Amino acid sequence: MVDTIYVEDEIIGTKKAQEIISKFRHAKVTSIKRFGEVFNPSNQNFRIQKTNPALILAKKQKGFVLDAPKGFGIGDQDNYYFSHMYNCLYDCSYCFLQGMYNSANYLVFVNFHDYQNEIVKTIKRHKEKKVTFFTGYDCDSLAMEPITNFINDFIPFFSRYKKALFEIRTKSINNTVFRKHDPLANCIVAYSLMPEALAQILDKKAPSVSARIKNMKYLANKGWRIGLRFDPLIYCNNWKDQYAELFANIFKEIKEENIHSVSFGSLRFPKSFFNKLLQYYPNSEELSFLRSNDKGIISYDQSIENEMNEYCRLELMKYSDARKFFYCG
Amino acid sequence: MIEKNFEGVSVRWVIALKGEAEEIIKNYAMERVETTPFPVYKNKDLDMWLILSGIGQLNAVAATSYLYVKSDASYNTIWINFGIVGSRNFKVGDLIQIDKITSSDFQDNYYPSPSAFKNNNIERCNLISVNKPEKLFESDGAYDMEGYGFFSFAKKIAPYELVSVLKIISDAPGTDLSKIDRHRVEILVSKKIQFIEKVLENLLDLQKIIFLQLRDPKYFDEICLQKKFTFSQKVTLRKYLTQWQARFPLRNPLEEIGQRMTASQILKKFSDNLLR
Ligand code: SF4
Repeated sequence: MVDTIYVEDEIIGTKKAQEIISKFRHAKVTSIKRFGEVFNPSNQNFRIQKTNPALILAKKQKGFVLDAPKGFGIGDQDNYYFSHMYNCLYDCSYCFLQGMYNSANYLVFVNFHDYQNEIVKTIKRHKEKKVTFFTGYDCDSLAMEPITNFINDFIPFFSRYKKALFEIRTKSINNTVFRKHDPLANCIVAYSLMPEALAQILDKKAPSVSARIKNMKYLANKGWRIGLRFDPLIYCNNWKDQYAELFANIFKEIKEENIHSVSFGSLRFPKSFFNKLLQYYPNSEELSFLRSNDKGIISYDQSIENEMNEYCRLELMKYSDARKFFYCG
Repeated sequence: MIEKNFEGVSVRWVIALKGEAEEIIKNYAMERVETTPFPVYKNKDLDMWLILSGIGQLNAVAATSYLYVKSDASYNTIWINFGIVGSRNFKVGDLIQIDKITSSDFQDNYYPSPSAFKNNNIERCNLISVNKPEKLFESDGAYDMEGYGFFSFAKKIAPYELVSVLKIISDAPGTDLSKIDRHRVEILVSKKIQFIEKVLENLLDLQKIIFLQLRDPKYFDEICLQKKFTFSQKVTLRKYLTQWQARFPLRNPLEEIGQRMTASQILKKFSDNLLR
């Protein structure tokens, strides 16, 4: 899979770096001073790199825990995210990472302890208040679990901080790590979902939606709490039928009581990201409905957005308590 | 073989000496088109050029920039630095593809993209660019006198993935440098020419991907000829035509344009049609 590994000199001797390197016996390992030498140069082509991404192992120096974007939450007032990895094993056409980074190489920060120290400080700062920490914002952490063991390290960590909610956002059906640990009440395994026909076109390299539903069912039966994330909602010709069918399929398999939260929000990008996406996917019908608004954001027409949010909300209310719904936008 | 009818092909070779370049010139049927300040060669059908830079970093930078201007190289051009190198950890005659470039004079290192190495089974190696011929070979890797200078400039004018450094080992510790004559170098290169072709083919595949990304959508040129669009209107037009093609592949957007419509009316018309 990976035939090139770049490793920062500073962390090449660490246990985590060695553990990861040992999983790629045939990869060529090249030492680097700082990850930016490989990751940041301009003039790199994301799509070409995606055909053969390298792995970069680095040490995160600062910015371990960041404020979640406004409107990104599932109930708590204070929301944070942290990224131990940039870029993803999957290749969704609408993925904002391809507009955000110059490089498609997998960048993994191996100093997990520094993240944990910062998370503890953040929790302490909030005293008795509940806080949520999101992961899987700049990558799909679960998909890369066989390489990083990230979730395996963070489940025991969060088990010590019950006031903190830990959301793992994913499309992966890898459930090994959840079999190894007892279900954690403050951990949400949140699945990104869209109608199967759309996912087949857009969620490239990701497991099918039916496989995701099957895995959610398995995890729910084991006692893990499940999040449903319909974000982004995708507009297309028969979107109403497609979403209605998707919701029905999910709730046929999963009991409502196992659902922690449901969130939805429609597709939107900063303008500069979108121009790159159009270059990458000129034939994408799904991207052809998007427009730029006066705030420099590319989104569907407001009337489409409103219609989709309202329809999905009402449709989901057939199956679930609306107090569990959150709108991200 | 290079697809002659593929319009995106654009290749530039930067090579220090004639002996190193001879087989490439022959293989790709290039002819000399200029003698000074640098000898320059060109294939008459393809957009493929080669320059003899002479030895050293400064010459490499000067020749690369000269060829860039002289040949009017587009952004989507493949740039290859080829030549002979010394190394203590390879055999004479080995072909290597460079994956890390350091310099005895500069702090920054460069890392040619692994996409360029995919599926070619050519050994990979780091390159140390020095200022005088290396005899001691104190570190593993290959030693040359041009690669760093070449890469430092080429990476600014082309996509990273299309800039490659390819070398053949000509000497190892203890080699009598006076015995590496032009004839011997030509033999070393001729034995590896099919692998060099393979590297170029891989780069051409990558170039094709970028070409398709950068290409203007269908009808863009025709519409711009018909009406006067400002720069930002052209950006919007490019976007709408791309979306149009995806949504209405069978509808010709030219037919939507009335004789008297202004540029902004045309954009509005496209926008309204694309809304739902
Ligand atoms: S799973 Fe998420 S992070 Fe990964 S490619 Fe898809 S949208 Fe991007």
